[in-house]
Amino acid sequence: MADTDVIAELMARCALRDQRAFAELYRRTSAKLYGVAIRILRREDWAEEVLQESFVNIWNHIVEYSAVRSAPMTWMTAIVRNRALDWLRRPNLERGDEDYDLLVESLPDDAAGPDIALGQSRDAVALAECLKQLNGTQRQTIMLAYAHGLSHGELAQHLKQPLGTVKTWIRRGLERLKGCMDGRA
Amino acid sequence: MKYRNEHLRDALAAEYALGTLQGRARRRFERSLKGDPRLRELVARWQGRLAPLDALVEPVQPPARVWRGIQYQLESGAGRRGWWAFRTNLGLWRALAIVSTAAAVTLAVLLTALSPTRRTPETMVVVMAGADANPGMTVSWPMHQKGEPKLRIRVFGHPEMPSGTAWELWMLPGGEQKPVSLGLIGTEPTQELTVPQALAPMIDRVWGLAMSVEPSGGSPTGQPTGPVLYKGQCTRL
Repeated sequence: MADTDVIAELMARCALRDQRAFAELYRRTSAKLYGVAIRILRREDWAEEVLQESFVNIWNHIVEYSAVRSAPMTWMTAIVRNRALDWLRRPNLERGDEDYDLLVESLPDDAAGPDIALGQSRDAVALAECLKQLNGTQRQTIMLAYAHGLSHGELAQHLKQPLGTVKTWIRRGLERLKGCMDGRA
Repeated sequence: MKYRNEHLRDALAAEYALGTLQGRARRRFERSLKGDPRLRELVARWQGRLAPLDALVEPVQPPARVWRGIQYQLESGAGRRGWWAFRTNLGLWRALAIVSTAAAVTLAVLLTALSPTRRTPETMVVVMAGADANPGMTVSWPMHQKGEPKLRIRVFGHPEMPSGTAWELWMLPGGEQKPVSLGLIGTEPTQELTVPQALAPMIDRVWGLAMSVEPSGGSPTGQPTGPVLYKGQCTRL
């Protein structure tokens, strides 16, 4: 059974309030989801909190999962991402800022080629191909925003561009991405 | 706040999934999501489009205290629905109804495997779906009831009931046998229907249930005459 099917089955068992299935679900998915939280929050103590809240949330809302037609991992990742973003937007909370410039610099730049290894699945190949169709700034901005949960303002600051420019890159980039991906579907 | 323009709705869904929709705009968007399944669908699609980017995330083993914290929170009741509580709630049946075919088979096996250990009274559940395979209502009842069994009905498909029409619930005995009317129901989200004494012996053994649209007052022929809105097979739990 593919990993996705195993996770889907575990989730179905969780919907029946099966604790052992939940423990297994945690065992299989927590490292990846913790990684997602760390990338956005950049602080392990916050990421731990967010991961814990997310799993409590997953348990509580698992019966609603299938109302959305998404892959199980996508659904759980969305919960963690949303929690992490909410966490960041609490008042009086500042992420360490200095690391971002490093982050921006470490992003694959176009000199190295726009190839992005996302995996072999059809969706992954489609996304990688379509990201290639974007221009470099659009691609970078979108990937940076997604990976690290940066706001328009933060992106503008770290990319040293006017806010409006960054917003346009993202909006146009997403539009082109959608056009390209829907065209391949 | 309504986002009427389809283009704008999709653009907001995209930025919500990407994470750049933030602050007040994000909260406003989340409020709209609650009552707007179509908007949720747009978001889910964007989440799916972007999900392969998660492959770039390096997994990191969380410390053991995180799992202990989760267990503690669920045991202490922060888990709203209780750690052990088995609830025959709407969401659950919805969840069970829509799992993919492969998962559904797994689930059937699983339910069989689980049932001997559960000592709660047996319940019959029917998830009734429309032609689009989306569940629109559920009916459940405790099995082996004495007297006149009471069915719990939940309607969540929100279809309209035009004036001059009625909804009639039917037992589908299975095989070649004709549907048997259980009576009329309303459009309220939660309802109860008492099974007439004469039909009580049948209810635990029916194959499934169906709901059809009939003239007000019910089918004139004793058989479904209008379109069947929802239909589903019984599952014993």
